[in-house]
Amino acid sequence: MSDLTLNTKPARRLTRKSVANNLFSWALVLPAILFLAVFTFYPLVNLIQLSLYRGNITNPYKTFRGIENYIDILVKRPQFMTTLKNTALYVVMYVPICLSLSLIFSVWLQKARKMNNFAQTCFFAPHLVATISSAFMWSWIFSPESSGIANGLIRLFGFNTHNWLGSSATAMVCVMIMNTWASIGHHALIFLSALKSIPGEVYEAAELDSSSSIKTFFKITLPMLSPQIFLMLITMTTNSFKIFESVRQMTGGGPGISTKTVCMFIYDNAFETNNTLGLAGAASIVLTIILMLITLLDFKGLEKKVHYQ
Amino acid sequence: MAEIRFEKVCKFFDKARIIEDLDLTIQDGKFTVLVGASGCGKTTLLRMIAGIGPATSGHIYMDGRDITDTAPAKRDIAMVFQNYAIYPTMTVRENIEFGLKNKKVPKAEREALIKEYAAVVGLTDYLDRKPGTLSGGQRQRIALARAMVKKPAVFLMDEPLSNLDAKLRVQMRSELIELHNKLKTTFVYVTHDQVEAMSMADVIVLMDKGRIMQEASPEVIYNDPNNVFTAQFIGTPPMNIIDMPDGNKLGFRPERIALSYAPVQGDFTRKGTVLTREMLGSETLYKIDCSGNTYMAKIDDPNFAMGENVYVHVANEHLYFFDAEGQRIREKGNETLFAQLLKTAGGMSNV
Ligand SMILES: Nc1ncnc2c1ncn2[C@@H]1O[C@H](COP(=O)(O)OP(=O)(O)O)[C@@H](O)[C@H]1O
Ligand SMILES: [Mg+2]
Repeated sequence: MSDLTLNTKPARRLTRKSVANNLFSWALVLPAILFLAVFTFYPLVNLIQLSLYRGNITNPYKTFRGIENYIDILVKRPQFMTTLKNTALYVVMYVPICLSLSLIFSVWLQKARKMNNFAQTCFFAPHLVATISSAFMWSWIFSPESSGIANGLIRLFGFNTHNWLGSSATAMVCVMIMNTWASIGHHALIFLSALKSIPGEVYEAAELDSSSSIKTFFKITLPMLSPQIFLMLITMTTNSFKIFESVRQMTGGGPGISTKTVCMFIYDNAFETNNTLGLAGAASIVLTIILMLITLLDFKGLEKKVHYQ
Repeated sequence: MAEIRFEKVCKFFDKARIIEDLDLTIQDGKFTVLVGASGCGKTTLLRMIAGIGPATSGHIYMDGRDITDTAPAKRDIAMVFQNYAIYPTMTVRENIEFGLKNKKVPKAEREALIKEYAAVVGLTDYLDRKPGTLSGGQRQRIALARAMVKKPAVFLMDEPLSNLDAKLRVQMRSELIELHNKLKTTFVYVTHDQVEAMSMADVIVLMDKGRIMQEASPEVIYNDPNNVFTAQFIGTPPMNIIDMPDGNKLGFRPERIALSYAPVQGDFTRKGTVLTREMLGSETLYKIDCSGNTYMAKIDDPNFAMGENVYVHVANEHLYFFDAEGQRIREKGNETLFAQLLKTAGGMSNV
């Protein structure tokens, strides 16, 4: 309809004023475009180039290998696929758990209680601690000695001490617990501000409509939070795919390579082993493509379910 | 159907005493209108009936059953909120259906009810739309349908028409009256608009600062006000009130004034000048200055002009007397005092 009406109008001539307007608009976006070009597009092209060569940091383009690097990491050497699997496992555990815990926590904070301001501060504080420090702290909590808090606790209940970070069954879970602890307050705060914008009368109407509190949560609260949940789902997924510091500090990728992540693979190949910079480049490109696909799928699959005000 | 009774009900918000020791009976099956200025506690009162803003002290009974602490869902009450409070993420259909689903009404019955009430409020064509895509008036009608479809024993409405345009408001007004005639359930309707109250109510409860000033039918409220507040709240323009030499107050309605160029003998008659004239259509509104007092007069004759000297005449039967506190002094039981007041009023005449 609107296309038709637009087409029947005579084409508008560019007046001097609108040309000036146009120039002005371009002048405004130019810095952003330049910034993107220099710091995003150029490095990306560079990275692609890098992934096609054999070399190291001082001499990145020793010999051209074409797509050999990709074949190496995807087919010939199993390590990359293992790290990808480890990372995916971490994401699949971390995202739903952290998302639902932050949601539950924000709903709990929403009620006007005296202790809630205090609780909010307590839960937000870990977000301010550097990841490396948090990881160090939690390494101590999960220490294999009986002096570690985790082991102290389970001994209290009569269990044997456990080597939390040294066992492939629990190491990744420990990293996940640490990262959940570090970010839950931040995520809950975002949910909380969205919750506070829901008018109280809507809940009262639901109460008069005999809605149970569980039903109210799933039918009213959750749909109202869908834009925040959607945003968080995407940022959490992409960010946790890039997990590095905390694993490196807490497990070093071990035991074996059972907790080694994609970013650790990239780091090792770029800086620790010689002449494998191309592999790191190829792994980076693969990771980027995976994240793009996931984001695209999220948008395709979920955006229709999101309620925008 | 149900009768609601308040007994010594108080409502405080922290230190603010909004309602104190309120006693009120809302009659079964009647269309009761709570009317009062903004902030007088109407919504607060309604929320106590609904159970979503519990009373600080006192008791509320529904058909004799104490519901002071009963959960809202167990009260058989539906409410239309002042700001709609419809569920923004649900379609119109889901909004209307939500309460029915929660009460486990079978699907076929739900469908029939939705169809019926969507037609009543004129939303049949919008059932699958989200509220965000509808106008204010349409959203208000979702709220009405959502409340009606539950067929409650008591129907609470908090200024449900205040966001509609004038034409739709008049239309919805008569539709609500019709609806009440059809359902015969107890309606409690809140408004700040006295015209709306007068036109819809079986019983008007007039409130001021959390207290009930008068509770009566529109006719009684208009013709037989208990106090100056009621006399001046109801009627446009409000009743003329003037101080009498003995400290009491004299009142008469603008509609009861007779204007003339020649003095009329007897009763209350004063000489004055026309200050302003507003032609309203069938009637004309005059502001008349009578040596210091200004009166509003609303009469049929549009032919008096600004600046003209006229005589204001009010027959004794249309005079109201109030004491210094503003309470009405009625003839019954006070015959001697009343005769004295009439004489004083007559003495204020200056012709
Ligand atoms: N939740 C609340 N907290 C504090 N004061 C309130 C609250 N709700 C209402 N009030 C006060 O109670 C008074 C009556 O409010 P309300 O019942 O909404 O008036 P109305 O509906 O007649 O306009 C107002 O003075 C208002 O400020
Ligand atoms: Mg109100």
